[in-house]
Amino acid sequence: MLKFLKNILLSLYMQYELVTCIYMFEPWEKKLINSFVILTLGLVLFSSFVYLPSYFETFLQFVSPLPQKEGSASYTPILQTQKMSMS
Amino acid sequence: MGNLYGDNGGVVQEHQQNSDFVNYCNKMQGNLVADMSNCGSGDLRARKNGFKANETEAKPVNGCLKNCSTNSTTCQQAKGKVCPNSSQALLTPAKKLKELAEEHTTKTSFEEVPLHTACLTYLGFYLLMILGYINQLLFVPKVAKEENRDGYVTLYDAFESFYSRYVYRRVRDCWNRPICSVPGDEVTLKDRVTKDYGWSFQFTGTETRCLNLGSYNYLGFADAKGPCAEKSEKTAREMGLAMTSSRVELGTTQLHLDLEQLTARYLGVEDAIVFGMGFATNALNLPSLISPGCLVLSDEKNHASIILGLRLSGATTKVFKHNNMRDLERVLRHNVVHGNPKAGGKPWKKILILVEGVFSMEGSIVRLPEIIALKKKYKAYLYLDEAHSIGAMGPNGGGAVDYFGVDPNDVDILMGTFTKSFGSAGGYIAGSKRLIDYLRTNSHAHCYASSMSPPIAQQIYTSMSMIMGLDGTDTGRQKINQLARNTRYFRRRLAQMGVITYGHEDSPVVPMLVYLFSKIGAVVRTLTTRHIAVVGVGFPATPIMEGRIRYCLSAAHTKEQLDYALDVIDEISDTLGLKYSRKPREPNPIEY
Repeated sequence: MLKFLKNILLSLYMQYELVTCIYMFEPWEKKLINSFVILTLGLVLFSSFVYLPSYFETFLQFVSPLPQKEGSASYTPILQTQKMSMS
Repeated sequence: MGNLYGDNGGVVQEHQQNSDFVNYCNKMQGNLVADMSNCGSGDLRARKNGFKANETEAKPVNGCLKNCSTNSTTCQQAKGKVCPNSSQALLTPAKKLKELAEEHTTKTSFEEVPLHTACLTYLGFYLLMILGYINQLLFVPKVAKEENRDGYVTLYDAFESFYSRYVYRRVRDCWNRPICSVPGDEVTLKDRVTKDYGWSFQFTGTETRCLNLGSYNYLGFADAKGPCAEKSEKTAREMGLAMTSSRVELGTTQLHLDLEQLTARYLGVEDAIVFGMGFATNALNLPSLISPGCLVLSDEKNHASIILGLRLSGATTKVFKHNNMRDLERVLRHNVVHGNPKAGGKPWKKILILVEGVFSMEGSIVRLPEIIALKKKYKAYLYLDEAHSIGAMGPNGGGAVDYFGVDPNDVDILMGTFTKSFGSAGGYIAGSKRLIDYLRTNSHAHCYASSMSPPIAQQIYTSMSMIMGLDGTDTGRQKINQLARNTRYFRRRLAQMGVITYGHEDSPVVPMLVYLFSKIGAVVRTLTTRHIAVVGVGFPATPIMEGRIRYCLSAAHTKEQLDYALDVIDEISDTLGLKYSRKPREPNPIEY
């Protein structure tokens, strides 16, 4: 079972290497690109977990046709959007 | 990507344009001074001859191709509608032509690339470029630098040199692989390893026997044994290995004359002339046939030797879309009507349509009947390069002319090479006696190049007479049939697998599209571990988008060998993800 999983992961990594041309690079270049990809992915994931829910809420409020209740504006970490939603 | 598998038997004379910059650099590193001086004098001499040839050509007593003086009348007629007499000649076979064209399009496939693959290919290419530049910045290459060369043109700054060092070098082990056997149905590769990622290679001392799907050995005449090899050996013992002289001086023997006669007979034309080098047949004869003031309509996928010849000739070249008759007619009509803009709209001296029989990169076949109709309609000349089709196509092995069953005299200049189907080297030009006599006096390749080596000429003579059945056996016929069967079977099986192949179903060149640069390397490497030798082709020999693996089939392959290869290809195209095709697949097993 473990071996099967390992094989699948290996073949997936092979596909990833092939479609991005990482297959052709030297080890240090592979490390460089992979760390860059992991960094980017990590940042995207982090921001989507931390910021996205509140952004989305504000956005919904902004586009919803119902009038906004006074003083019930949810907390958003960025002032700018809050201002926008207030106006 | 340069991709010489072997030499001699099934020499791959392709991709000079890409491998040559690598060779160029190497050469320049070594004996730069000697090279430069040689180049200089050679160039000068060639130019002088070029002038001479052009002068004689411009005279009215021109040997072969008469100047197109009828052009002006054609002009006026073409302005109104179409020339009445030529359209009349066209009317009868017009219906047949249309049918032929339809048949041709159903048999030819050029499947579109899936969008995501296209995006990924470009992404991968940009990544390669960016990292290449970073690499070049951080690690200055160990190769020679230019010093004390003030005032000279730099040799290493070009994009090509960057490309070969930082993109091509990474997968360099897949090309220029040394071999140590006859490239017949199987070939022995000399194993080598690289410890510095492609900068240098070391031989391990071991060898790998591989199934050979990379040589242009279409009819399987490249063999170390058999009647061809024996007769060539006998000739080498009797007549030596080289004539050490050009044809017009001391290099002509009875063997050469016999070969020329046999070639003319084989092709069904009046006369033929043979040259010791296939590439030079195009590159050096085109300048003697056309000159500035002539117009050449060249297919966009024409071989590097043709392009070089056209550049040397100085004629105006217009490129038409690959195998696209509508585009050809558009360009042709426009130029017949408007004439030469540099000469104030006067008619062109000659208009020459230049196409290949089988295109070695696309695997497509020229649409010859339609081109001949167009040529007759617009009174142009036709130059057909049968490098890949001669021997390999047609029921009698007579090339594209034989395949379509057209009259060989309708093609003004028949060119071809002996490198592929005949398992030898060299090239020929065949046509009317006037044309060949003209070439005998004016061709640079005939007057100055060394004559064809006797054993090589003998190999061609023997194999050609075998194809024609002059040896009293039907070996040649069997080989032609075997190749046709192999081709059909291999192509259909590939299509059934779901990989994208290009070209016509009867063409023995089978390009399989893999698109991504890394996949070319991966496929070639994986297939080598499974004992199959193939050729990968990538940028700059093809567009960036269209990296491909090219299989060349041979009559020497048996069904078992092909089955083995196909099973392996099926397996690896699953693991490497090559099954791009979205066409419906044949559900039934393919019969051989």
